[in-house]
Amino acid sequence: MSLYPQFAKPNTTEQASQLLSGLSTGAVIIAGGQEIMPSVNYGHLMPSVYVDINSLKDLVGINFENNELSIGALTVHRDIQNNELVKEHVPLLSYAAQWVGGGWQVHNRGTIGGNIVSMHPLYDIIPSLLILDAEVEIISAAGTNRVSISDLLNDTSHGLGSKSILSKIIIKPMSKSLGWAYEKLKITSGGYGSANSAAIVETKNSKIISLRVSVGAVSPLPVDISSSLSSLIGNEWNDSLNDIITSKCSSLFDDALSDQQGDDQWRRSMASVMAIRSIKAALKKIE
Amino acid sequence: MGNNDENSDLYVGKSVRTLEGKGPVSGRAKYTSDFNFDGQLYAHILRSPHASADIKSIDTSAAEKISGVVKVLTGEEAAKYIDPIPHYIDPTGLGGKVATIRCLALDYVWCYGQPVAVVVAEEKRIAQYAVSKINVDYDIKDPVIDPALALREDAKPVVRDWDSNLITQLPFSNGDPEKAISSADEVIQTEVKVHRFSTQPIETRCYNAVWEAETESITLYGTVQNPHPLRNVLSKVLRMPENKIRIHAPTIGGAFGLKMHGHPEEGLMCILSKLTRRPVKWVESREECLLVGAREQVHNVELAVKKDGTITALRDNFVANTGAPSATPGWAMSFLTGLTMPGPYAVRNLDVLLSAVVTNKPGWNASRGYGKEVTAMALEISIDNAARQLGIDPLEMRCKNFIKSDQFPYDSPTGLIYDSGDYSGVLMKAAKAIDYEGWKVKQKEALKEGRYIGIGIGFELTPEGGAVPGTLVAGYDTSSVKVGPDGSVRVLTGVTSPGSGNPTGIAQIVADELGVKLDTIEVIQGDTTTCPYGFGNASGRSTIVGGGSAAKAAKKVREKIIKVAAALMEVDEKTVNLIQGNITSGDKSISLEEVCYAVYTRAYDVASVVEPPLESTATFKPGLIRHTPDENGRINPYPSYSNAGFIAITEVDIETGQTKLLKISVAHDCGKAINPILVEGQANGAISFGIGGSMSENIVFDENGRQLTNNFMDYVMPRAHDVPEILQSHHDSPNPVTYMGLKGAGEAGVGGSASAIVNSVNNALSPFGVLITDLPLTAPRVWAAIQLARKNQPQRKVA
Amino acid sequence: MEDLLEDTVLIQLRINGKYHELEISPSVSLLDLLRDELNFKGTHMGCMTGHCGACTVMINGKTAKSCITLASTLSNVDITTIEGLSDEEGNLSPLQESFWNTAGFQCGYCAPGMLFLTKELLEDNPNPTDDEIKTALEGTLCRCTGYQSLIRAVKDAAENISASKS
Repeated sequence: MSLYPQFAKPNTTEQASQLLSGLSTGAVIIAGGQEIMPSVNYGHLMPSVYVDINSLKDLVGINFENNELSIGALTVHRDIQNNELVKEHVPLLSYAAQWVGGGWQVHNRGTIGGNIVSMHPLYDIIPSLLILDAEVEIISAAGTNRVSISDLLNDTSHGLGSKSILSKIIIKPMSKSLGWAYEKLKITSGGYGSANSAAIVETKNSKIISLRVSVGAVSPLPVDISSSLSSLIGNEWNDSLNDIITSKCSSLFDDALSDQQGDDQWRRSMASVMAIRSIKAALKKIE
Repeated sequence: MGNNDENSDLYVGKSVRTLEGKGPVSGRAKYTSDFNFDGQLYAHILRSPHASADIKSIDTSAAEKISGVVKVLTGEEAAKYIDPIPHYIDPTGLGGKVATIRCLALDYVWCYGQPVAVVVAEEKRIAQYAVSKINVDYDIKDPVIDPALALREDAKPVVRDWDSNLITQLPFSNGDPEKAISSADEVIQTEVKVHRFSTQPIETRCYNAVWEAETESITLYGTVQNPHPLRNVLSKVLRMPENKIRIHAPTIGGAFGLKMHGHPEEGLMCILSKLTRRPVKWVESREECLLVGAREQVHNVELAVKKDGTITALRDNFVANTGAPSATPGWAMSFLTGLTMPGPYAVRNLDVLLSAVVTNKPGWNASRGYGKEVTAMALEISIDNAARQLGIDPLEMRCKNFIKSDQFPYDSPTGLIYDSGDYSGVLMKAAKAIDYEGWKVKQKEALKEGRYIGIGIGFELTPEGGAVPGTLVAGYDTSSVKVGPDGSVRVLTGVTSPGSGNPTGIAQIVADELGVKLDTIEVIQGDTTTCPYGFGNASGRSTIVGGGSAAKAAKKVREKIIKVAAALMEVDEKTVNLIQGNITSGDKSISLEEVCYAVYTRAYDVASVVEPPLESTATFKPGLIRHTPDENGRINPYPSYSNAGFIAITEVDIETGQTKLLKISVAHDCGKAINPILVEGQANGAISFGIGGSMSENIVFDENGRQLTNNFMDYVMPRAHDVPEILQSHHDSPNPVTYMGLKGAGEAGVGGSASAIVNSVNNALSPFGVLITDLPLTAPRVWAAIQLARKNQPQRKVA
Repeated sequence: MEDLLEDTVLIQLRINGKYHELEISPSVSLLDLLRDELNFKGTHMGCMTGHCGACTVMINGKTAKSCITLASTLSNVDITTIEGLSDEEGNLSPLQESFWNTAGFQCGYCAPGMLFLTKELLEDNPNPTDDEIKTALEGTLCRCTGYQSLIRAVKDAAENISASKS
């Protein structure tokens, strides 16, 4: 809590990580500011130091090399939506980014790094990254680590936001033959998410041969439910699969959120409704 | 829009662009928070985190030590300098109880968010920080949140010196409802629960008080709808005469009732400025703005009906949870709900009982519709239920029960006098515009594909221009028209604008009545020093009485101009024409400026036929208002009864409970439209309130009475994609007692559209037998109702 | 690395074409900087949480919510505020004329959001559909109009701007 915070704008990731390791608690990393500023404005967050990472060149740019798409953490949602490399190699992510809330103003300023680091249960980026098996690169004074998104969600010791820096997101390209979809349910068009689902599906002779599905905005963090739906593999889509998905989902969301975006009972049911919709929409893309 | 006047020489009836519209588009309009003064200080308020608690002690020492803090004020110290806030509408006038309402809590807090202390500092972030360093020792009590529990004998009184939690309990009765109900073919009961939702203008409230040592006077720049009445309130709070207080309300960024006064921050900023001898400013945060509530009412409606759908009696025992006492006029909305029963319906047997209850929630303020929207919601949802149970088309059921157009003026069973109307004509017009019958066919087709389309009707009677006896909610208002020696015109008026465009409407009226060009007119509002004593903006009154009074004043000034023009041209004044600033008589002409200059400069010769200056002040006091009680003690506080009919088409996603509003049609009877495009805008805005109110906006609390809805993430108002195409038509039956038959626009739309949407969703879900009357119709609630219906009727085949 | 820490931040901004070098507090929002320090009062506060859009400006030609932009993170950027939409003599742009002529606004408090979103929309898409207009306006709340008159104004602006270019 400081009325007179300090400010630093390191020029390299080395500088930044060394600085962060030397700072006491109360330092925050800031890029677009879209996530932090509401709390700063209301005095709920009064950092002692703002570490501005906008000058870190390692965090900028979208590249496709060695069959990997690398997206710098400072990339804003608008660029995720419009960038040709993202659209070509991970169209699911590009599409999901259109659903980010706050309107164009937030799409223009909010970064993919900030979106991930906030780990907000209602946000739109992580559900897709989960089923794309995306990895993130984390830089701290101890060095650079590459971890999968799912490990990141399970690990609370990463220090992102105050001690370590998310530098980039690395994603394997999606095969052109895949079907994919992102479905989002919200109370009204201005509402935050009440349930969402991303799906990637592959078929052969109309039969599902691989399936990845995640559900967000229901549990405290987005969940990859692919393994629970493995019995769908080998099937051609038919309405009986609805019941299988509903039944599988029924036990997966005991920790469902209950807030002003919807109560837990509804959210739990919406998990399967959104999962079914995203799978069906993904299948439809293949047709 | 009935806009046939585009070729006329007159301005009234034309959609001219607003005089005041350049300010906002250029960023140069000055809203209250845009003012800063030399030595400006900033206030931040410490608010109670508890719904009910004793204040054992307050330690301000840490806050006072922070560099930049100028003053910390607690309730105890404030009570030495200022008095409690008098009610805008005193409950004793309605048979109720009065509480002592202070700017800062003294001894105990009675709601979450109640002001407890205030810090004034050199910078706003210092004030904000210092507030976090004030230490209050609370003894937390169990709050009273549920109005039903609040009414129990053993309930703790929210106001400690009251004997119960009732502000007032008022009956509205007529005829023999008991007999009508006992002899009815059927009595249809509907419980309608209207939730707490608020107006939330995008500009929050702001007050900037400037103490002037030389004259020992105070000027308050504020987001104020009713400057003169506020001045009267502040004179009592501040113990100062009214002539030492000036209120200046600049451009307002939306109000809708929330900026009617009685708020503690008004007096607080004034006293802080007086104590610090410097200007003190407070800008309300959105979190604070969301504390202002309205409309939490539970209605238990019983309709006595004949098999053919004729309603023979209405009974409604309803409870309003008005929250903790507030000096703002919101609590009295519940009175209007009772008074305007049974709305547009020719039901003579009436048994309505209002119980207005206080609880430990934050209080209400006025909200667009002012209780009349809840009348519409309670009636319209109940009538739809009745129509459904009787198997009658809901459109037919309404038309059967409407007051007929030849019954006006109509004495309502609560003592109101409805001026004019053609309710079935209005509703049929709305139905025709949207193709009501066609949608019935589409609905059947859609159901075959498993799509659930609903058609819903709503009707709304919104009396406007209200006047409450013994209060500064007056039915009349005053304007001055002043023409200078150069011929330019200033109109000063007691009404104000929240951004609705009424200054332009008033200018259009003056331009026509005076005979000048519109762009030569300047309309000045919102300043108690320069404007005539007036009552500001409320109740759709501004064009009725602001325009009406300005027209009268303009006519008097015109007479002078004509007389002097005739003298200057040496013609008979009967031959003089004055229109759009052109003065002619036969083939003679003279400039307006020359005539005006002569009035001021030649008072002893050619202009001596008139008394200078070219100024006139007039008051418009509409008829029909009756404050002398009739034999049953009833009054008629309204001169004008606007009304509107609505049809809403929705589609419900039965898997998620999500409703999409596809289209809405409104036919509106607001009398003459001075500026059609602005009137249309008022209705569209009100409908948007109805959409948000019925579907998403909801202020909720936890079981301890702490408010959970604190920002626009959780208070979800309509955005562009949420409002569909609005089909708007007009069906005017002019008011015989107002200038040009004006009725007032602005309030009609909230309750009518909200009811149409609710009825539409229930109509869509009728295959399930679902009837949801607990609002808002959020997706989870709709979904839960469908689930319940499926569970109870598993045999029902659903597509 | 502690030598990187500063108590105040020196930033350079070009606002409505005019260069400013400012030494600011690290925690000030762009909104407060514009309104309180630089007197650009046309940018409005509505929520301070990034929901309402009344505080919208353009940063390097892209719309942004100034209340949730930390001013100290900006340097060497171009900012346009609503005041910068008119020319130096105060003549309105065709965009502004359209919103005024067609009664786009009522109270006008949301004008920064609506005008800049329209500007951003029409630069990419000179003839938007109603649906595209609604999508563009999603980031700003209007409480007065029910959006009907705003959509009408955007369409008028589209015509007005293409007419002024031809």
